[in-house]
This record gives sequence, structure tokens and C-alpha cells, in this order.
Amino acid sequence: MSARRLSTGGRVDRSQTLSFKWEGRDYSGYAGDTLASALMANNQRLVGRSFKYHRPRGIMSAGVEESGAIVSIGEGARHEPNVRATTQQLFDGLVARGQNAWPSVGFDMGAVTGLFSRFFAAGFYYKTFMGIPPFEWGSGTGIWMQYEKLIRKAAGMGDAPSAPDPDSYEHAHDHCDVLVVGSGPAGLNAAVSAARAGLDVILVEQDFELGGDFLNQPDAEAEIKRTNLIALIKAVNVRIMTRTTAFGLYEYGVAGLLEQVTDHMASGSEHLPRQRFWTVRAKSTVLATGALERSIAFGNNDRPGVMTVAAAGVYLNRYGVLAGEKIAIATNNDSVYQTAGDLSRADATVSIFDARKEVSHALGEAAERDGITVQLAMAPMNVLGSKTVSGLSLAIANGDDWKAGGTRSCDLVLVSGGWSPVASLLSHRGGKLSWDSENACFVPNTFSDRIHMAGSAAGVWNLDDCEVSGMVAGAAAVKDFGKSAPSMSAPMVGGWENPIRPLYEIKVAGEKLKSFVDPQHDVTAADVRLAHREGFVSVEHLKRYTTLGMANDQGKMGNIIGLALMAEALGKEIPEVGTTTFRPPYTPVSIGALCGRNSGSHFRPLRRTPMHDWNLDHGATMTDAGLWQRPWYFARDGETITEAYIREATTTRSAVGLCDVTSLGKIAVQGPDATEFLNRVYTNPFAKLPIGKARYGIMLRDDGLVMDDGTTWRLSETEYFMTTTTAHAGKVMVWLEELLQVRWPDLKVHVTSVSDQWAGCAVAGPKSRACLAACVEDPAVMENDVLPFMGVIETTLKGGTPCRIARISFSGEMAFEVYVPSDYAPAMMQILWDEAQPLQGCLYGTEALGTLRIEKGHVTGAELDGRVNIDDAGLGKMASDKKSYVGDTLRKRPEMLREDRPRLVGIFPKDRQQTFNGGALLCKADTVSGFGEGWITGVTHSPELGHWIGIGFVSGGHEAWAGQTLVAADPLRKGNVDVEVVSPHMVDPGGERMHG
Amino acid sequence: MVERVSALSGHYSKTSHDNGSVTFTEIEDLSLIQLAAWPDTLALVAAKAVDIIGAQEAPGPGRAVSTHKGTLLRIEPLKWWLVECRDFALSSDPLATQGAVLDVSHSRTQLRISGPQAALLLNRHLPLDLRDAAFPVGTVASTAFHHTGVTLWRSEQGYELFMIRGFALSLWELLRESGAQFNAEIA
Repeated sequence: MSARRLSTGGRVDRSQTLSFKWEGRDYSGYAGDTLASALMANNQRLVGRSFKYHRPRGIMSAGVEESGAIVSIGEGARHEPNVRATTQQLFDGLVARGQNAWPSVGFDMGAVTGLFSRFFAAGFYYKTFMGIPPFEWGSGTGIWMQYEKLIRKAAGMGDAPSAPDPDSYEHAHDHCDVLVVGSGPAGLNAAVSAARAGLDVILVEQDFELGGDFLNQPDAEAEIKRTNLIALIKAVNVRIMTRTTAFGLYEYGVAGLLEQVTDHMASGSEHLPRQRFWTVRAKSTVLATGALERSIAFGNNDRPGVMTVAAAGVYLNRYGVLAGEKIAIATNNDSVYQTAGDLSRADATVSIFDARKEVSHALGEAAERDGITVQLAMAPMNVLGSKTVSGLSLAIANGDDWKAGGTRSCDLVLVSGGWSPVASLLSHRGGKLSWDSENACFVPNTFSDRIHMAGSAAGVWNLDDCEVSGMVAGAAAVKDFGKSAPSMSAPMVGGWENPIRPLYEIKVAGEKLKSFVDPQHDVTAADVRLAHREGFVSVEHLKRYTTLGMANDQGKMGNIIGLALMAEALGKEIPEVGTTTFRPPYTPVSIGALCGRNSGSHFRPLRRTPMHDWNLDHGATMTDAGLWQRPWYFARDGETITEAYIREATTTRSAVGLCDVTSLGKIAVQGPDATEFLNRVYTNPFAKLPIGKARYGIMLRDDGLVMDDGTTWRLSETEYFMTTTTAHAGKVMVWLEELLQVRWPDLKVHVTSVSDQWAGCAVAGPKSRACLAACVEDPAVMENDVLPFMGVIETTLKGGTPCRIARISFSGEMAFEVYVPSDYAPAMMQILWDEAQPLQGCLYGTEALGTLRIEKGHVTGAELDGRVNIDDAGLGKMASDKKSYVGDTLRKRPEMLREDRPRLVGIFPKDRQQTFNGGALLCKADTVSGFGEGWITGVTHSPELGHWIGIGFVSGGHEAWAGQTLVAADPLRKGNVDVEVVSPHMVDPGGERMHG
Repeated sequence: MVERVSALSGHYSKTSHDNGSVTFTEIEDLSLIQLAAWPDTLALVAAKAVDIIGAQEAPGPGRAVSTHKGTLLRIEPLKWWLVECRDFALSSDPLATQGAVLDVSHSRTQLRISGPQAALLLNRHLPLDLRDAAFPVGTVASTAFHHTGVTLWRSEQGYELFMIRGFALSLWELLRESGAQFNAEIA
């Protein structure tokens, strides 16, 4: 037996030799080859091992439906498993090997599993969950835990690379009037028709060449037609995308495409992505996606050397490779006769075994002229040979059954069990299929949503008819735009001279055959019947129990056979059994392509403050705060984070500290009704806030729980500057917009996010006023009577930078927040820093910020987590009784008024030398279980107190636990630590410092 | 007065400007004023906006109008952006209580993307229909770029992309990466 490259013929460029490696050995092919055609040209028949039984597998098709030649390509981080050799374009330097085999596909130790195949039938895996009788009964898992590892090691489909993917990927968007999927005879004609009417057309082709089935024709006439049509589509400006698969179709004409940009190159261009994930929005879609030839289930129909008839035609006519010399063709339809003639003319000995009892005289005569022997009422029963084909046992019709019918020697078995239109994309959109018994296939029903089927995807078999079908579909697309188009009759479904004989499996009494339905997942005809016997009567259950159609070909080869076998077992017709729903993707899409450029540092958009670079230049270590990057701490030489934050907090309390607070949400609230609006949003009164003053405010959700807090500054009669927490900035903005647009459209208020307009720096500590006074052009504005606690001024920093300063404090010290337009942020930081240093000041980050606020019992997003009401947060005095506001009513429901609700507290370790963790549960000493009495939201070392402290919530608040010891339970990390509960205001409870 | 430092400052160098099919140009010292109206003052504010730049009429939704004094972009049903109108004095408060004026010049980073393949590059990131017929000169749209909101205006010079300042460097890095395949230049 041998497959070989012919000296002439095909579309490959024999002047361009390409070298590649297969299983560690060097081979060569030609430009225009696929990996599969090059392997075949080098007579490499055995190219892989099967998923479960490690059976030898070869090339079974010439396209996306491939179930045998599933290989791994590339090396190291670029290793990629489960590549279809039949669609992988050959390139110089390609490295490929077979899968699921050790040490090699030729000699695979794993093949021993085949000896135990009867134990590995459908559902065996699920049954193993129940234990192995008699060792375990019912629910034993002890043994399973061990052999499950062996099963997983033995099964599988290649190995995933362990190194990070070095390639880049990207997303892209496009729009068009008409999207034509498939560039075969139908697709090309559809594209021409639509583009000639002035429509903007995108033509998508998964292959690296345009032409579809034109490429597989032996005659020059087809090539002339193809080149003429390509010239036409270019002339009418059709946008052409090759190596691009439409993998999914969605609502409103959205198509998902995967473009393989550099998969055909040895080394991709530095700047090109490996793959591009397109979202195309089309007003109308033509699906000219072709049809796939089916196999038939018979014994050993998965042996290397068994393939579809059409595939042998493709290898011969497109790639100039004769797949075998002594060829047995098994068929039940007319489609094989032309290919048989082509193979015979290429000097192969060809025999056709046609399951039909009669065919037309003309068909038989033509075959005879080509030197082909045709035997009717014959079918394949069992393939002989183990790693290759050495012969074929035949079955002969015996009434409606089959009986053994002798053996023929051959080196290649070609099978055609009929054709299935590719309607997956239509199915993605909910399009239905109907069973066409005359052609033994599902054909798409008419679909109203601007999707038009064309060519063999619509069940039209003959090439000339496909061209007409394409024109009709193109005209239909033109009419979608209200334009006139020539009226033509669509060709009828079918087109064979002789009817097909439906044939899905050959069973012969007394013969025990291993007949594969879904070779890629090792699902046999016996598995389907077993599933039926075990009660899986629905096709959806059948699929899940046997895994039929769940491999990466998604049932392209096996689904119809599986359906037919199930229908037979149920005593029903195929349409009564129904089909499983095709879902995207049509062919696999890599995770990389789904991610696009959203990986690594761009996994999320990074949000940098305007002083980001300044902070880095001054020693900041950054941390994530949502999407923001914020300074975490500014370590000096040799300092740990702990040493740094303790120093920063200490310095701030004793001198002055500067902290980038730009990430706080900032919202401009403008309009004549701004005051009324704020008065309704906040729990506390805003109606009488004077211009030039700020007020701390709490806003509630409708359910009475706290949404956010922050200060709002009154800048003028009609304008406020609201600040929010970093965590809730977006949520608050959306909330305010909703209130204005939905509930109170009568209020004349505009809210605009100005978070990015203003850069903010907190200047905190007893020397903060002195520091700022040295920075502003007019130091008098910093005097206590001009800028008292909660005062706001708009002034100018030295150098002329306009700024807003409010005297507000998060640290508990005398403190100010200074805001400048963002482009002036580095200048502001530099002038503040220049003045802070002589005052022994420091820069501080979020870690020290946390220390300062925990010491003061100030809440953040960690406390305001959506479970806390205003009283729980210790801020009940800020809820006005004299006005109504959002959340006013529901905050007074009984659940909210319970005395034992968790309330904000401070926490000290009983032994002051000890520490405890945030997230620990607070439990009674004798009941360390369940949810406990509360939880800890934040911890720090307090430089002021000289020991570890925490903030959190305990039922009833700190008064309820005075003098008692609780346990901070943290079983997964630190264990239990005895703690005492104190007031949350652990430092300067009277607030003298910030008011001072 | 200290100089403004943009979000992209220090993160790129200008490149030679000859054969790239895409050119990036950062528009520095952006001047961007938001003019907002309420439904009953829309016509009045539109008239004032037109006065400011001396245009014939205010742009409708999704459109822009330019004169030598500046450009008006209609960014929302009740809002315009006044771009590069250096004569406009915020303190004059031309809308009084009829509308709201807000300086947002530092809130956005403006990047001009021009050249024959500018739309192709933009569509690597934006889901907008940028074909000439759908997005001619004078069109404005709000859309998403890497999960962040951006505004795109097609001017005579190219596509003007207004990015939220805090995200601008992150988006710029993505544009540089994807622009390399178009030999993108920085002017």
C-alpha cells in the first residue's frame, strides 16, 4: 500500500519545496499543501491515536470535519494540541506530531487499553463514581480517587502547553451590508450578485484559497470559472477575508469570525497578531457553507486508510496526491462516481461497492469506461489490517439485511454515506432543519431573519446548480435592502440521477464489529445501543451519556449516524428523534483569540492618577484600588512595608503627610435645583449649607442601607463639588443619573463626573496648615478664620496653579484636601513636597491611610459593604428627622431597628503583643462556631496606641461587650486570638486635633 | 503659570512621519467646556452655543459643527462640548440659570488618529461603523474602548478620540501595540 505525490496535477506549487518535521523526522511538501496532504504525499498513514482506546488513526477527511488527523503542532510555549492536519496550511519549518501516544503513534503503549475496551463502554466513567463491586458498593470513592488519575492520564486530547502564550491576539470590528460565508460556487456568485447591486459585501472563507469545491475539480473549466468569479468580486469591491472562519451567528446580524493571521507562517510578523477575533455586523447574511460527506458505521471503519470519497478527490485534484493504489469505494449515492473516475484515471485500481440494488445504466457505463468495476447491493462490513488497510470484508444485500459477502484486497477504503448540508450557523440563530428523506439529510427551512442559504448548504448537490443557488441567495439579499434584483428560480434540493439508499450502519448477523459513529470520541454503534438500553432515549441525553458529537468536530461526522441508530433502537423515524442544537463555535476558537489584547497588564484597563509618575519617582510602591493604581507605601532604603507604613502614619500625626487622593470619586452637581437634589439624596440637611463650606454626607439606598459617604462642597448658589469613596464612585454616579432621569426629571440638575478633571492631595498633620500656607500665593487664606474646619476656598498655588482647598480630615489630624486641574498635578505635588520636607513631613500611601482611619474609626468601602445601615456605622445622628430622603422610610423598618444589629466597633487584642487578621469572625469565648457575633473589616498596628488594633462590627455595639473577652476566630490562618471590644474612635475621640 | 503635563507626557517620542498608514497626534493643552441645558432651555442654550462659535446652527445629536472659533460636539441630548474655543471665558457664565457650564479640559486626553488606515486601527478596538457613509466628517459618537467610555469625533484632520484621562495611558499602550501593524507614526 502506498500513497504518493503524482508528478503532475493539483494546485500545489512544485517549485516551492517546504520542509517540515513529523514525529521527529524530516519531510517535505509543497507550497499549497496542508499538513495532511503533505503527510499523505509522504505516505504517512498513521497520524494519531484515539481518545479512549488509543486505536491507530489516519486522515479521514480533507476539511474541518476531520476526526483522525488531530495533531499537535509547534514547540515549547507555541505547542498547540488538537490541530486538524487537514486544515493546517503547510509552512517551511512546521513541527508536528501525533497525540495520545507514547512513545510514538506507531508504537503506543496506551493501546493496551483497547484490550479492555468492553469495560470502557459509554458511561463507564460515570459508573465508576459508584465504586467497584465487590470492593466497594454504592458510593465508595477510595479506589476511584486513585484510578481516576490513571483514567485522566490515559485519556485526553493532547497536552496543553505549560508556558505562557508568547503570541498576541486581537479583536476587531467591521460592518457590511451583506456577509457571505463560504467562497465556493454558491458563495462567489452570491457575493457577485449582492455587490453588483451596490451593496457592501464581505466574503469570508475558512480556507487559504477562494473557490470552495471549485478547487477540487479536475477540469480546467472549473478553474476558469473560479478565476473569472474572483476577478468579478474584486472588480465590484467585495471585501475578501481568507483563513477566516465564521464560527457563530448571533442576533441582529452579528457574526463571530476567527481570522488565522499568522498560523501559516513559521515565525509570525513581530507586529501581527496570531489570530484576530472579528465581530462583524451585517444587515443580511448568505450562508454558502457547503455540505459534508458522511461515513457509514461498519467494522474497523476508523482504520488509517479509511476516509471519505470526497477527501480522496480533494487530495488528488487539489494536492496532486493519490491516496491509495488499490481502492475500494463503498457508497449509497451517486456522488462518488466522478471521483472514482478521477482516481482511476490517475492509475489507481478502483472498485465501487454500491449499496443500491440498481443505478442508471449511464452511471454504470461511465464507470466501466473509466475502468472501474461496480458491484451493486454490496456494502463494507469490516476493514482488514491493524495499522493500515489490507483489505475489506464485504456484506451483500440479503433482503433488507446484510450477510457476509467475501473479501477484497485493497489499500484504501473510501466511504460515502450521503451528504449533510452545513447549517450550523443557521442553527445558532434558531433556524430549523427538516429531514429530507429523498436525500437522507437535514435541509434548512426558510428563515425569515435576513439569512439566506445557498448551494449545497441548502441541499443542492450539483456544482452548476450551486452557482444558480448562489445567485438566487445574492438576489434575496439585495431584496432585503428594498432593491430590485433579477427573479430566478432556486434549484431544487438534491440533484442526483439515482436516489440515495439511506444507510448508516452495516450489521451482519454473527459478526461482532467495532463500528465507530464518532471516531474522535471513540463512540461506537454499540455505545449508542447501550445508551438506549440504559434508558437514554432523548437525543440530548444520548449525546451527553455517550459524548457523541462532543469532540472538537462537534458531531460533524457522526451525529446523523448516531441519530439514525437511536431512531432504529426506538423504532422511530429520524425526524421524530430530532437533532441536537448546534451551538457556537462551528470550529474551535482559542482562548487567546477570545482574550484579544486584554491580557497581561491589559487584562483590565489601568487607571493612573495624574501624579502616578511623580509618585513612582518618589519611591512609591503601587497597589490596585479597583482599576486605579495608588501609592501603597513609600519605603526608604531597607524598610519593609510594615516599617514604612508605621513611619508614615507616625510622621503624619506628628508633622505632616501628603497622600494622593485623586481616586476619590468627584461629581459636579450643577443647576438651580442642585440644593434640593442633594437634600433628597443625603440623610443630613444640605438646604442651608453656605457657599464656601463642605459637609460630610451619607447617602442611603432605597432599602435604607448605606450606599456611600463623602464630603460635598458648595462652590456657588447653583454648583456643588461632591466627593465619593474610590470604591463607589461609579455606582454613585449611575445612581444620581437614575434619580434625575427616572424619579425627578423635573429637577433642573446636571451631574457630571469630574473625577479625572481634578487631581487631589491630602495634606494631613499638625503642620499641614504651615505646609499649605507656604504653597499658596496668599498665605492669609489658610488662617483659621478664613478656612475653618469644613471650610472651602478656591485659590492659587505659587506659580499660578488654580486650586480648590477644603479643610476636611480622614486621618483625624488637622488636614486639607487640595485639588488642581489634573495636568497640574505633578506641579502641585512638587510644591507641596518642597514645603513638607523642611517640616519633617512625608509622603504616605494607602497602608498608612488605613492606619490613620482605623485609629479614628472612619468607615470605608470595607465597612459600607451593602449590609450596613446608618446606625450600624455609628452615624445615626446624621439621619435627619426633619426632611425626607432616599432610604428614609425603609431605614426605619423593624429589622433595621433591632438593638442587636452588628454595630461599628474598635477591637484590641487582649494581650497587646498579639495580632489578628481582617476577616476574622468575632465569637463568644465559649461558642467559637457559626457566624459568631460579628466580624473584623480592617486591622493595623497603631503607632499612636503602640499595639495592634482593628475595626469591625459586633452585635449590639461596643457597649454590649464592655469588660468581656471575645475571640477573633480565624481557623484557616491565624487561629483564635482573645480580643476586647472598644469604641471605634480609638484615637482622639473628641476630635480636638482636626478641629484645632 | 506652570505648564500642563498630559496623561501621555513622557510616554512616547515623536517618530519620523513619512510612510505610516496611521498617524497619532496628541492634541496638547486641550480646552473642553461642557454646555448643558434642560429640556425647556434646550433651544436657548443651543442658540447661545451657536453664538459662541459663530456657527449657523447648533449640531444635532451625533454631529459636530466647527468654525474658526471652535467646535461644538453634541455629546448627549442635553449636552454639548465646546472644543478649542480659546475666546470663551468661563467666568462670563453665558447660560446663567438656563444651563450649566463646566470646564472639563483636564478630564480627557485628545488623540488624533489620521491616515488611510486610521478607521481600520480604530475598529480593532471600537465597535462603531466607521465606513465613510456611516461616519462622515462631522460625526460624533460615544462608545467603549477596552471597557472605558470614549468619545469619537471625525474632524477634517482625522478621528479625534477623547479618552478619560486616567485610562488614557492604558488605551495609548493598546493603540501603540495594535498600531504597529500599520506602521503607525507619532506626529
